[in-house]
Amino acid sequence: MTGPQTRVVRFAVNGRPVQVTTEVRTLVSDLLRHDLELTGTHVGCEHGACGACTVLVDGAPMRSCLMLAPQVDGRDVRTVEGLAVGGDLDALQEAFRSEHGLQCGFCTPGILMTLTGEREAGRTVEDALAALPGHLCRCTGYVNVRAAVRRAWSQLEGS
Amino acid sequence: MSDAMSRPGTLVGQRVLRVNDGKLLTGAGTFVDDLHLPGTLHAVVLRSPIAHGRLVAFDAAEALTMPGVVDVLAPEEARDATRPLRCVWLMPGQGQVDYPVVPRVVRHVGQALGVLLATSVAAAEDGAERVRMEFEELPCVVDVEAALGDAAPQLDPGCPGNVAVDLPRGDPPDAVEAAIARADHVVAMRFAIQRLAGSPLEARGVVASWSPATGELTMWSSTQVPHHARDHLAGALGLALDRVRVVAPDVGGGFGPKDHLYADEVLVCLAAMRARVPVKWIEDRREAFTATVHGREQIHEARLAFDDDGRFVALHSDVLADLGAHPSNVGAGPAFVATGMLEGPYRFDSSGGRVRGVLTNKTPAGAYRGFGMQQAAWVRERLVDEAARTLGADPAELRRRNMIRADELPYTTHTHQNYDSGDYAAALERATELVGEGLPAAPDDGRRRGVGLCSYVEFTGLGPSAVQEIVGFALGGYETAVVRVEPDGRATVLTGVSPHGQGLETSLAQLAADALGLPITDVRVVHGDTATAPYSAAGTIASRSMTVGGGAVVRAAGRLRVKILDLAGHLLEAAPGDLEIIQGVVQVRGSPTAAVPLRTVAEKAWLAWGLPPGMAPGLEEKDLHDPQDISYSYATHAAAVAVDLATGRIEIERYVVVHDCGVIVNPMIVDGQTHGGVAQGIGNALLETLVYDDVGQPRIATFHDYVLPGTGEVPDMVVEHTQTPSPFIPGGMKGMGEGGTIAPAAAIGNALANAVPEIAHLVTETPMTPARVWGWLDAAGVATDW
Repeated sequence: MTGPQTRVVRFAVNGRPVQVTTEVRTLVSDLLRHDLELTGTHVGCEHGACGACTVLVDGAPMRSCLMLAPQVDGRDVRTVEGLAVGGDLDALQEAFRSEHGLQCGFCTPGILMTLTGEREAGRTVEDALAALPGHLCRCTGYVNVRAAVRRAWSQLEGS
Repeated sequence: MSDAMSRPGTLVGQRVLRVNDGKLLTGAGTFVDDLHLPGTLHAVVLRSPIAHGRLVAFDAAEALTMPGVVDVLAPEEARDATRPLRCVWLMPGQGQVDYPVVPRVVRHVGQALGVLLATSVAAAEDGAERVRMEFEELPCVVDVEAALGDAAPQLDPGCPGNVAVDLPRGDPPDAVEAAIARADHVVAMRFAIQRLAGSPLEARGVVASWSPATGELTMWSSTQVPHHARDHLAGALGLALDRVRVVAPDVGGGFGPKDHLYADEVLVCLAAMRARVPVKWIEDRREAFTATVHGREQIHEARLAFDDDGRFVALHSDVLADLGAHPSNVGAGPAFVATGMLEGPYRFDSSGGRVRGVLTNKTPAGAYRGFGMQQAAWVRERLVDEAARTLGADPAELRRRNMIRADELPYTTHTHQNYDSGDYAAALERATELVGEGLPAAPDDGRRRGVGLCSYVEFTGLGPSAVQEIVGFALGGYETAVVRVEPDGRATVLTGVSPHGQGLETSLAQLAADALGLPITDVRVVHGDTATAPYSAAGTIASRSMTVGGGAVVRAAGRLRVKILDLAGHLLEAAPGDLEIIQGVVQVRGSPTAAVPLRTVAEKAWLAWGLPPGMAPGLEEKDLHDPQDISYSYATHAAAVAVDLATGRIEIERYVVVHDCGVIVNPMIVDGQTHGGVAQGIGNALLETLVYDDVGQPRIATFHDYVLPGTGEVPDMVVEHTQTPSPFIPGGMKGMGEGGTIAPAAAIGNALANAVPEIAHLVTETPMTPARVWGWLDAAGVATDW
């Protein structure tokens, strides 16, 4: 019996080039979490419903649990670990802390990545709020997640 | 840092930002699947694909030839190596008191039978597909009422008629019936509450590691209850408690279902003991829908009797609780609580109920946030509104007139709840005011609009151990805190409770920091590891961590403060009563030059040099807090809804919570808990349901077909608090983690019935999905065309 097919995948993670030999069926979420030990990307459903595994691929929010490893070959992947440059929380992370926009924190990295994509694409606060239905949070009831979005965007506009 | 965060003695009641958010926001949390121990094998739990039947053949030979597959723990092997798991809450006469880790006869789809280990998750899943299991299928029963029928298959020899529990509640049945017969009116309705999945976004999972050299088993587990899990794990495997360690790392939500040790977790540990390398098992979402306990499902045949003048006379509910395949750790507990809290904030001449816990071929039902009180609120508050409709009375006025007044507290109900303190009518009054404020003028969009109320009293702070003994719930109701000022002057709080999103790392620290005169940044809360945490029988369940666990911190830190002042007084040659601690410095009140840093006091204490005669070394106090009595939080929720007569869709246009949970330690956290609870209550009210077909196969496998509330379904809400201190809890806190979940279904259901009175008699079932509501509208002839 032959083993699963493997392939070398080269891509950038948070600006750092990586090369991994992996089974072609490996999910990007597993590649990040288990091969690269970037465990900040969480897996809540493995079927694209909850959004916890969202990462940025070439700047666009993607469900890493619905992508296979070869799909990120040659691309730029960013995860929650890349947000706090130099260890300081970025403005979005600070807004979530200030507004109590997280409780258990399991869904939070995915939400942060979607919103980072929205911010970097120059989207409005309304756009950002409209992106939230792509995420499930079981703790906050979304009230303070929305408050954090409003705070982050008002700071962006104020700066 | 805000002023409040740097100034000691003033932290309780302040919006202190959470101390552990940084790691969670940067992806640096450690959830159980984030642990990577060298040499780890990955487990797939082999499960029953059928609802009822006898396993007659098990063959893993082919699976063992698959690449990467290392071992298969077969059902017979697992059965021989384990002892049954005990039910924890035993009702009088309960017909089944434990359940095997691996059964001979499976009783639900998803029941664990064995474990396959491989070098990767993918290899393990491939291998599991080649394990051959054959069953002799047996007839199954999935409907709780059908399970009571003569023709129903019998699931357990100890539970004739499939009834595991049957007990009366409250006043003697004759007395309740006599009271009902005396009343001018009776509203009788049948209510059905659906089956739900608590669905923490992190499913369950364990990493198990066995050390043959020391005979020690360590289980990292996504659990709410590390000590409880340890005790039952050791029991199931026949190990001494001192050889089993359970660690709860960061845990991605609990909501009740993670309040126990599961059979599959025992199997994974057993597999790790055999493999002698670490084994990881992470429940996938589809698996979670059948392997993790469900919640809620009950049927209530309920009656509210009242007089012409609106006075409530009697209340009774006959409850069928669908326990699923076997009584879970809590068994019929939620139905016991549903009947125990059925009376809510009102007076009755008589009240009671009957609880029957019935077995069916579904996943066992266990704890879920709101634990019976959600069902009680739905049943009672819908009956109250229908009574108001019968009388042509205002629902708020009818509530007000029957509410237990503040001057009647403490008050003992017919089910022996000793309501402690509060002003229930004040919450009702305020919620009624607030829901009307700011409501936009209703546009003429063809939708009907209505407002609904739900008032409830909530049992929190489980509980005095003596009460636990009375009700047969084998969990000590106490909590222990150790508070220590370290030699460097910073403080460590060891707690037995096990937070998983509630922010107790911050709120417990606030309590200790206030007592010790330290800034919040100088207090660290340590929890979750049975090797270091004080013993906690119950863990973080039942809205008890801040009351029972927090009360222990208040007392331990208070005693430690006394010792600090005694020692500092000795060093300063001042009377301890003249001293205060400000920002980590002990000083003579009003004379800051006569001062000694807490750090110096701590150094002396831990060196034990120059102590006053008789003073023991060290600065550490331990308190075991078994609360004097239950604490009862309460609230009124009000919902304003718009109902589309063409589609049956309910939109929540305004949502108000007026709540009292005693002394609020951190209002930011309390509001956050309330929002989250209301969101889960909205899922309960409008969206979520677990459906089975008639052969016991779940029709739910993903979050695409089990619809959880998203941001679009949960509106911003108005949350206000009053603070009536608990008379029983040091610090005055009452519990509040579950409260938000209790009321939304009833408030929304009452709003729906208010909006469309033609269907009021039909508003008896949840979830109130568009399809179901449209059916009611159609039956009443008020559905409109698109």
